[in-house]
Amino acid sequence: MTTAAIVIPRRRPWTGAIELLGQLVLRPAGLVGLAILLVLTALSIAPSFFVGPIQTAVTATGPRLSPPSIDFLLGTDQLGRSMLNLTVHGTRISMVIGLIATVITVLIGAVIGIVSGYVGGRLDAVLMRITDFFLVLPTFVLALILTPIIRDLVGNATAEVFGIRMTLIVIIVVIGITSWASTARIIRSQTLSIRERAFVDRARVIGAGGGHIMRRHVLPNVINLIVANAVLTFAGAVLTETTLSFVGLGDPFQPSWGQLLEAARAVGAPGLGAWWYFVPPGVGIVLVVLAFTLVGSALDDLLNPRRRRAP
Amino acid sequence: MGGRFLGRKAASAAITILAIILVNFLLFRLMPGSPERIILRGVPNVTEQQRVALRERWGLNDPIFPDQFVKYLGATATGDLGYSFVARGQTVAAVIGQRIGPTLLLFGLGEILAILIGLALGAYSGWKRGTAVDYVGNGISLVLYSTPYFLLGMALLLVFSTGLRWFPTFGMLTAGRIYASPLDLLADLAFHLTLPLLTVSLGLVGQYSILMRSSIVETLSEDYVTTARAMGLQDGRVLTGHALPNALLPTVSLVAINLGYVIAGAITVEVVFNWPGLGTLAVEALTARDYPVLQGVFLLLSISVVLANLLADVVYGFLDPRVRT
Repeated sequence: MTTAAIVIPRRRPWTGAIELLGQLVLRPAGLVGLAILLVLTALSIAPSFFVGPIQTAVTATGPRLSPPSIDFLLGTDQLGRSMLNLTVHGTRISMVIGLIATVITVLIGAVIGIVSGYVGGRLDAVLMRITDFFLVLPTFVLALILTPIIRDLVGNATAEVFGIRMTLIVIIVVIGITSWASTARIIRSQTLSIRERAFVDRARVIGAGGGHIMRRHVLPNVINLIVANAVLTFAGAVLTETTLSFVGLGDPFQPSWGQLLEAARAVGAPGLGAWWYFVPPGVGIVLVVLAFTLVGSALDDLLNPRRRRAP
Repeated sequence: MGGRFLGRKAASAAITILAIILVNFLLFRLMPGSPERIILRGVPNVTEQQRVALRERWGLNDPIFPDQFVKYLGATATGDLGYSFVARGQTVAAVIGQRIGPTLLLFGLGEILAILIGLALGAYSGWKRGTAVDYVGNGISLVLYSTPYFLLGMALLLVFSTGLRWFPTFGMLTAGRIYASPLDLLADLAFHLTLPLLTVSLGLVGQYSILMRSSIVETLSEDYVTTARAMGLQDGRVLTGHALPNALLPTVSLVAINLGYVIAGAITVEVVFNWPGLGTLAVEALTARDYPVLQGVFLLLSISVVLANLLADVVYGFLDPRVRT
């Protein structure tokens, strides 16, 4: 006698991700965005491979503030550093700050959103009150005050974490704690609808605790939304970092694009006609934000059930 | 409109403002060093006696909560925001007061221009969805949306001031110039205002156009638009009579919600053009670590944003009875 075994094919967790990538590439916006991101990621993983080690005031070899030439393809700054070198190294700094700030933002937003939506009641009311507060607040201005205060609290800024100087870590944390509110709102509303589904009831009936349900049943169902939201958050984080650096909160020893733009303004590059000083980092910023916005909205179209209808 | 709707919105705004003041209060106490040291910063040879007297005078011996907070609340409500660290002897309110006018002028005009152009561009793109006009319009909007305001400002400055020499590079008026008539002054002001205004408007247009486009596209798929078409209305009438009014509503509320976000860009445009407004003040205060002024700017901007949101809610309630629940 043979027993007919019913084989249920288990989907590997990353099959979905690959399928999604395939669908993304089919959309022009997604394809263009992904292509830009691929190039920028390559530049930020190994900047030294492309342009050599980062130039400092000591190692700079070029003439001061000279326009693009054969030796210096993108010209030089007022210290004689190659703008090509600085811009490529700036890619890494801007992208890393954006990445970590996004992780913090999405982590806070997702935890608050899921807990608030699942637990409900008074906790939900309090958490959403706080979320609304952060939503209406001009958080950039709050970040403007918080950054110097936290820097004073942390004290001497020579320490490094993961090779990132403390001054930049403070910026990352400030971006994280001021920009999670919209993520929390979106995740909460999705959690609310998942909470009412039969499989959650079933889990509760067989005795699963709240923490278990949130981790094993709610989280997998909102993860798509979290990913789409993270991509859009990344664009915002890069913009916020750039703006904070531009008003003088960056770190001259680890120049991000925003820091380069600040230096260009301080030198008076637009007034001197030195377009090569601010066009390369400027184009970098526009490309990153554009790419993440394109990929993010393409993902949102694919993953967000409410928008799936519209082509 | 129901009084309950109005009351609830106003109460919610009041609580938010109270929370903003609380944040401001806590921030000052978060700073390293005791408050009297911060107040006495830069004063040499302070005796222990003076320090104690100062603590007594400023009420620093009272418990932080509720005594100090209530006093702080009272002072804030009467417009007493303390003294600037840098501009000795000037109150924060006086320092900020001088800077409100230029900012209102620049961003008031900029917002109006951007809303008009952005909404028109977005509505037209959405209406012509899928055509070349839509692709170009939407593409321009996306690039403008991705560009930080100050970068746009630097580019305009380079082209129109340094290159073409059409406009001055900084300030609000020509320094030291004596004007023959008020008209002269106005002309000089307009001359200085053009580039910053263009930057602010262009920076905002992208965002508003994208919002309006998606709103129009959504509205056009509604049944009543199909009905209007089936009734044989002309295309123009369908757009202006049926689609536009309904698409405008959510856009207007989103414009108000985004106001806080817009302020970030606002600050940097003023810095690029040396426009003597609140943004430049905030950056000056930041560089000099003039915390009272910085907090004053934060307080003013946050409260303005909360009030603008309240206004948008009320207007929205007037226009769309469904939200009045």
